[in-house]
Amino acid sequence: MEKQFPVGKSFFTALRDVNLDFGEGEFAGLVGPSGSGKTTLLNIIGSLDQPTKGDAEVMGKSISELNHKQAAQLRNEHIGFIFQTYNLLPVYTVFENVEFSLLLQNHTAAERKKAVMEALDWVGIADKAKLKPSTLSGGECQRIAIARAMVKKPKLVLADEPTANLDSKNSHHILQTMKKLNEELKTTFLFATHDEKVMGYLDRIVKLEDGRVVEDLVNEKLKM
Amino acid sequence: MLKFIIKGILRDKNRSVLPVMVVSIGVFLTVALSAWMRGIFGDMTDLNANFDSGHVKVMTCAYNENKSQIPNDLALLGVEEFQKQFEADYPEIEWAHRINFGGLLDVPDENGETRAQGTMVGKAVDLLSPDSKEIDRMNLRKALSAKNASRLPQKQGEVLISQDFADRFGVKIGDDVTLFGSTMYGSMMFSNYTVCGTIKFGNAVLDRGALILDIRDARMAMDMEDATGEMLGFFKEGEYEDVQAKAIQASFNAKYTQADDEYSPTMVILTDDSTIGMYLQMANSIGGIMVFVLILILSVVLWNTGLLGTIRRYSEFGVRLALGERKVHIYKSLLGEAVVIGIIGSVLGTAMGLWLAYYLQETGIDFSALMNNVTMMIPSVYKAKITPETFYIGFIPGLFAVVLGNALAGRAIFKRQTSQLFRELEV
Repeated sequence: MEKQFPVGKSFFTALRDVNLDFGEGEFAGLVGPSGSGKTTLLNIIGSLDQPTKGDAEVMGKSISELNHKQAAQLRNEHIGFIFQTYNLLPVYTVFENVEFSLLLQNHTAAERKKAVMEALDWVGIADKAKLKPSTLSGGECQRIAIARAMVKKPKLVLADEPTANLDSKNSHHILQTMKKLNEELKTTFLFATHDEKVMGYLDRIVKLEDGRVVEDLVNEKLKM
Repeated sequence: MLKFIIKGILRDKNRSVLPVMVVSIGVFLTVALSAWMRGIFGDMTDLNANFDSGHVKVMTCAYNENKSQIPNDLALLGVEEFQKQFEADYPEIEWAHRINFGGLLDVPDENGETRAQGTMVGKAVDLLSPDSKEIDRMNLRKALSAKNASRLPQKQGEVLISQDFADRFGVKIGDDVTLFGSTMYGSMMFSNYTVCGTIKFGNAVLDRGALILDIRDARMAMDMEDATGEMLGFFKEGEYEDVQAKAIQASFNAKYTQADDEYSPTMVILTDDSTIGMYLQMANSIGGIMVFVLILILSVVLWNTGLLGTIRRYSEFGVRLALGERKVHIYKSLLGEAVVIGIIGSVLGTAMGLWLAYYLQETGIDFSALMNNVTMMIPSVYKAKITPETFYIGFIPGLFAVVLGNALAGRAIFKRQTSQLFRELEV
């Protein structure tokens, strides 16, 4: 797969000759310096962008062939996102932030409430459901973001630098939470990161440099 | 989802306060100004109708052709019989006889010698019949001067003169004055009257040398028994109805007007006078004009406000796209927000506008100090008029402008790549 972006009259190649497979239940990471193409690859897998050459197949769907509506449907039903800066909606409560994903699906209010409280319970902040994100710490906000990504029980969660704004303690807490969800719900987690703490939790590390895959290895420490 | 949108609007002051304020101010201006303008043009029309033209007016054909000269020698004869016929033919109209005339008013001294003289314009109306509405129609009670012991005529031989005339010639209440003029047959006439009151309408046309007397006195003085210069007709409902007036005019003229008889009656209607027609048109279309102008201004303002808001909310849109919301759905939710903001702003603006319009309807703004030399028949106190339209007119620009503004601003969502919106998250 290849991805190019127009820069003036020429093109910048963000990804080239990428050929990867991720299986169900993997806890894998795209690792590399800034500009190596991690986020671009994550965006393509998340159907937010399309490859210039080649294709990406996610849950049996060809990303290149998806129109906007189909791509939105794929994200809505099967993919959860976690961001570096949490990106919670500040005017809504913790409960409402997590509930938003479900509003786009046809759930009753009772079903939504049950699912939201269950998701908040997974990440250990059910008691903060009525608070606004601005009153919570960074670690708590990231846990809300995880609950928001997980509430619809997606098959795939894409996490872009999820620990970049967190201290060491919170980072480990978050990663442990995600690892637990990965094991219990068999959700595939794919990270874009250059945080060594994250790498320590990954089962598989794909190293990118200048848009190319330079290494694809299984984390032996965890395997042992 | 609607509940989600409303919560967002109510909690995010940046998203709601400025647009609601802009919409409220726009709607407030639309409601108050349209009611005021409608009132002004309506009052101009009413003033002309009540003092001069009626809603419909019957004269002889010859009088109509020379009406600028007030030719009472061409007056309508046999008016009592005509009145009965007209009442039977057009029960929706009530009739009032008027005689306009010009003359010289002589003010004698204590010896009966001329102390002062001035030209005047006289208007004879029915002041003494108990069922006459002419006093109210011409607003004579309010026009009576408060500077002296002015009162309305209570018997024949009593007249009202303009305050302006009284001041110029030193006429006091109770003084006798002599009117010099001509009868309808062209012979000279003079008649003595007692001044029982002075009046000020606040309009130069009406106040400059005006004399108002009972029509019986005028008929007697001018030999116009069972005659009148004009028969004014007013819709009993009070409001002028142009379509109905035109239909009545067509039927009247077909029945009564004879091409070979210049003394046969003919009917003209209020809008036959092009100036009054324009006033009426303005009164009826002012709402539309205000709405159009306000939509234009508000849309541009709200477009820019919306653009700023949309840029500020790119990260929110990015999150929503990531969560699987479609661009068209985000766009529709923006329009939904616009409708909610439009309704809130329109309700607030309409309430404020109605409050000001009510104040202006009851009190008005007095421009009489600026109108001493105005030669048009326009009111000196400009009042608003609240109509059923006043209650909903603000909702048109309020809703339309905010939806249009948001619709234009929201196009940015479609113009940006999904991944670009998504990247805004990291900004």
